[in-house]
Amino acid sequence: MINAIIKRLPSGVEDKLGTNPCRGPFRGLVIIVLAGVAFSICAAGAMADVAVSRSSTLTRLTLEELMNIEVETVYSASKHEQKVTEAPSSVSIITSDDIRKYGYRTLADALKSVRGFYVTDDRNYSYLGVRGFGRPGDYNTRVLLMVDGHAINDNIYDSAAIGTEFNLDVDLIDRIEISRGPSSSLYGSNAFFGIINIVTRNGRELDGAELSADAGSLGTARGRLSYGKTSAKGVGYLVSGTVYDRKGGNLYFPEFDPSNPGADQRAADNGVAAGADGDRSMSAYAKLSFPEVILSGGYISRRKGIPTASYGTVFNTDDTYTMDVHGYLDVKFDHDIDSRSNILARLSYDEYWYYGDYLFDAATPPAPESLYFNKDVVYGRWFAGELKFSHTVFSGDKITLGAVFKDNLAQNQINYNASPYEEFLHDRRKSLVWALYGQDEVTFFDRAILNAGVRYDHYETFGGTVNPRIGVIYKPVDKTAFKFLFGRAFRAPNSYELYYNDGGLSSKVNPDLKPETIDSYEAVFEQYIGTHLRGNVSVYRQNIHNLISLQTDPMDGLLVFRNVNEINARGIEFEMEASSPGGSRGVVSYAVQKAEDSQTHEILTNSPQHLAKFNLSIPLMREKVLAGLEEQYMSRRRTIAGNYAPAFSVMNLTVSVQKIYNGFDVSFSIYNLFDRSYGDPASEEHVQDRIEQDGRNFRLKISYIF
Amino acid sequence: MLSLAITLCIVTGTMTFALAGQAPPAEYQVKAAFVYNFLTFVEWPSRTLNEADSLRVCIAGEFPDAAAFDELNGQELMGRKLTVRRMKSVENAQGCHVLFIGSSEGGRLSRLVESLKGSGTLTIGDTTGFAQRGVVINLYIDQKKVRFEINAEAARRAGLIISSKLLKLAGVVYGLAPAGN
Repeated sequence: MINAIIKRLPSGVEDKLGTNPCRGPFRGLVIIVLAGVAFSICAAGAMADVAVSRSSTLTRLTLEELMNIEVETVYSASKHEQKVTEAPSSVSIITSDDIRKYGYRTLADALKSVRGFYVTDDRNYSYLGVRGFGRPGDYNTRVLLMVDGHAINDNIYDSAAIGTEFNLDVDLIDRIEISRGPSSSLYGSNAFFGIINIVTRNGRELDGAELSADAGSLGTARGRLSYGKTSAKGVGYLVSGTVYDRKGGNLYFPEFDPSNPGADQRAADNGVAAGADGDRSMSAYAKLSFPEVILSGGYISRRKGIPTASYGTVFNTDDTYTMDVHGYLDVKFDHDIDSRSNILARLSYDEYWYYGDYLFDAATPPAPESLYFNKDVVYGRWFAGELKFSHTVFSGDKITLGAVFKDNLAQNQINYNASPYEEFLHDRRKSLVWALYGQDEVTFFDRAILNAGVRYDHYETFGGTVNPRIGVIYKPVDKTAFKFLFGRAFRAPNSYELYYNDGGLSSKVNPDLKPETIDSYEAVFEQYIGTHLRGNVSVYRQNIHNLISLQTDPMDGLLVFRNVNEINARGIEFEMEASSPGGSRGVVSYAVQKAEDSQTHEILTNSPQHLAKFNLSIPLMREKVLAGLEEQYMSRRRTIAGNYAPAFSVMNLTVSVQKIYNGFDVSFSIYNLFDRSYGDPASEEHVQDRIEQDGRNFRLKISYIF
Repeated sequence: MLSLAITLCIVTGTMTFALAGQAPPAEYQVKAAFVYNFLTFVEWPSRTLNEADSLRVCIAGEFPDAAAFDELNGQELMGRKLTVRRMKSVENAQGCHVLFIGSSEGGRLSRLVESLKGSGTLTIGDTTGFAQRGVVINLYIDQKKVRFEINAEAARRAGLIISSKLLKLAGVVYGLAPAGN
């Protein structure tokens, strides 16, 4: 996260992966499509079979006997189905069951399975791409990430943490609700491409203690201890702590191999960075819930070594690392004033620290005496509050009014060299953001819902912005829904873009930055067929204005952020979900999109045009054992240098057994089953064109509930 | 090509194996059976339910599988016939002895509960929080098994008497009057 001018490596580096479409990644796409077709045929056929009337036999059972029967919960919480079809957006939900079945280790793993989403990794952070937009180097600023409604994006980089730096252990997640489309009309800045809300589990569900330990390849180990209970009066609590450590493997970078003719001048150690990819974290979460008040708090501290020698740092050292620390407290009050009105009030306090230590060598060739550290120390502190009032008028019209404030008590960025000490940046800011919003949801004839909302945000930096959203949901028959959505969203320039500079050495500030805006039009068709099949199709078009990009000013050669780009993206997404009476469940999705610069008509960097995903879970051995298989295909993506990261597909397999013995659950996962070689486009601070990702790796996880 | 073949074999093989296996009963068929069983443990006020009357069961709201309740129609229970009526919303739910409320009606719930005071209607739901909001019996799923919670206060307000046997089987009971009342 520092600006340093990097020389790009000439593209003489061999592309090892080949470009023959009949092998490798294209095969993955074929698998997904064929599997999806085969699966839906089977599911549809099976569906026809299960008209057997079982009610007559069931009603003859006693209550005690009925209470012993296990049910296939296709729509176990019908409120989820309601949420999906009646939400003014295209919604995807990932449940705690999915997290267990498919062996998701982080939120990023779970997001990789979502239709139209893709995740890239530079061995420092995980970056989420939505609908073809995921420029290398952009921190996840255009998605609002929340835990139980509490925003996680920090107040310096506005970044949504989705990798190992995310606050919550995935085992504490009850479900992940992903709502696509601009949602600034309710949530303000960052709700640009959509919002992700994580709903946490309840004390009632834990009903005691849970101990979980897992170990995996590359020296990975994680331990978690959680405890939760709910009393008869409705008071619940949940406490949990997790520690995680991953040693990481030895990574080979041809760009740093001295025997390579075009290698970087910092090349050393045969191009192998050993033990420089370490990742360790500690996190805690607690929640105390009363009937109308919920207090919650989370903490994470995560240190990640950087093995890529980014920003011109020394190669093969574990002294270059980033550390993210985020702690928060949140209190929410939710009260039904009467049968038709509700008031919600929330107050929260967050603190965020970021430390970046970068080891440089002043001499060429490198020499130990000329080593020095450049350090980033960033601190953010904010206090936020929200008041929301909703009232249902007799005719079924639901009106919501809200007021929000966010007081940024500190937004500090410091950058300096250690020994000899030289300070380049010492910027301290405070700012206040406030907003008012309103939404009206009107139901017509039980068949159509009109949802219209607008929000006004006021920022001290650029003034005010108004963002509307209109959605029409039409359900001609019970299980069919058509949605037409139009919305506008914005992303305010963050502290980093506004104020980070190194005193004119290589970069300067631009306090006149305006917010980015997006206009989005979308049409969705959702259909439930029987209880076992669901499909949907989405078509969308998005225009992004005033995209903030890092540029070089021709006048003084300094780097500066400017509102320069116009992007337009359009695409179609298909998804089908089927479940069979045998307990199997599968989802297939395919997204085709085109995201390009409006002026140059060039497709964006790191933008795949095709994404295909397949998830299948099958109960085996009388349903004691569950197998979860997933495959994800991504078409090729352009890199910053103008090359292509080839298309690839990855398959993951998890086999889990619940209650194998007393309270023990065990699962074994193989990630990247076929050991596919693939790389993600690198960004400006890397010499590498692509960062190669992990090959086949394993994880064994054991949980004990007592 | 080998991995393609392996994958397709795994996928289609296990799928047919799984589909051939024993199918667990559908959620709503089991819930309908629960509703049928509850009726034997509830006493309705005599002014709302005479000896010869049929027991009117109303299913209001949107369900993934409302047809499962149709199976109860015409069944006999303690000498009475059951009639099942399905309706889009609770607005039209009059004169029901049993009213199963879907989660889609959540927004109208408080008003409905108010209007049903003393009417002798056994309200049943299967949405989180319904029992606390005044529904007499609320079904929920715990580790794939159907369970239920009872709001004894709501039963009292409706004029219903719930057998202690049912109260014992409930996962949670709200509003139980202190001993000696």
